[in-house]
Amino acid sequence: MNKELEHKFVTELQNNQNVVHKICSLYTNNREAHNDLFQEITIQLWKAYPKFRGESKFSTWMYRVSLNTAITLYRKSKKRIKTQDYDSVIFKIKADEYDETQEQQLKLMYNAVKQLGDIDKALVFLYLEDKDYSEIAETLGITEVNARVKMNRVKNKLRTILNP
Amino acid sequence: MDELELLKQDWQKKEGHLPKLSYDDIYNMIWKKSSSIVKWIFYISIIEFVFWALINLIPYNSESAELEKTWNTYGISTVLTVVNYVVLIYFIYKFYRNYKRISYTESSKKLMKAILDVKRTVTQYVWFNIGIFVAFLIITLYGSLKYGPNSEKIMEAASKAGNEVLFWLMLTGIFLLAVAMVLTLIWLFYKLLYGILLNRLRRNYNELKKLEV
Repeated sequence: MNKELEHKFVTELQNNQNVVHKICSLYTNNREAHNDLFQEITIQLWKAYPKFRGESKFSTWMYRVSLNTAITLYRKSKKRIKTQDYDSVIFKIKADEYDETQEQQLKLMYNAVKQLGDIDKALVFLYLEDKDYSEIAETLGITEVNARVKMNRVKNKLRTILNP
Repeated sequence: MDELELLKQDWQKKEGHLPKLSYDDIYNMIWKKSSSIVKWIFYISIIEFVFWALINLIPYNSESAELEKTWNTYGISTVLTVVNYVVLIYFIYKFYRNYKRISYTESSKKLMKAILDVKRTVTQYVWFNIGIFVAFLIITLYGSLKYGPNSEKIMEAASKAGNEVLFWLMLTGIFLLAVAMVLTLIWLFYKLLYGILLNRLRRNYNELKKLEV
């Protein structure tokens, strides 16, 4: 029985690991921290897995546990992200896919997002994952109206970072 | 915001550039030890429960009971001890219940509140114990001065030197000052300990909470 559960969990996580990697890349600045956070999220997912009843999709449930781990987990990293750290981040922009302006824009944008606070990052993440406001609200535990308000503020913040 | 839309498009295409962990990589991870703050808070709490329980409960033996009888403080000490036990049990129950409520499958706000509640229970327990500790100290000090072997001499010296009221006032003053100093130290220690552990969590929680006002 337990072996079965293990197998099911590992398989599902393996198939959905992209979600966790994306969260890790938003909340950490280097490969080592990325792997640490991935591991912690995996542990929390596994601990919570027996309670996962399949009411929602595995991936939906995963968003919640993973983000919660990233937001609440202690990680003392006061260092501000410098541009040269950017290469260590797994998000590399493929030059041939975009023209130069777009590429530059994207780089600046990723940098700006990484400068946001934990909660703001969570909002951006869910937004980028194309979640609607009701799901964003439910994941964070706020009302839908507040989720919209907050998202607008985040957009303003990003604007300020990009055009100081 | 156009940039955000561009980012969204790029984000959706990211899949190919992400690391790919194998089945075995993930399998090995699920047996690793967690390093979340919740675990740290749990360990620190256990240490606190044990520490304060020891300080307030262990030094109590038959000898001290005899001493207290001669100082006329036995009754009140017994009451305090019983109260202490009852409250300790209550706090352990409350701590356990709050701890069990921590669930990573809840919304972020609920989760953070649950963690902060656990910490609050422990803080309340610690302050309660300090209260009991100070009460014991006052009773013992008063008992030993009033009824202890050297009390007559002390009282005599006090009335000779000036008046008795002044003596008690000064004693109270010194005592309060000492207690205040110790409490400040303990408070600073907790500020530092939980500050390091919970600063980020509290900030994030307040950020979500602020939205509701």
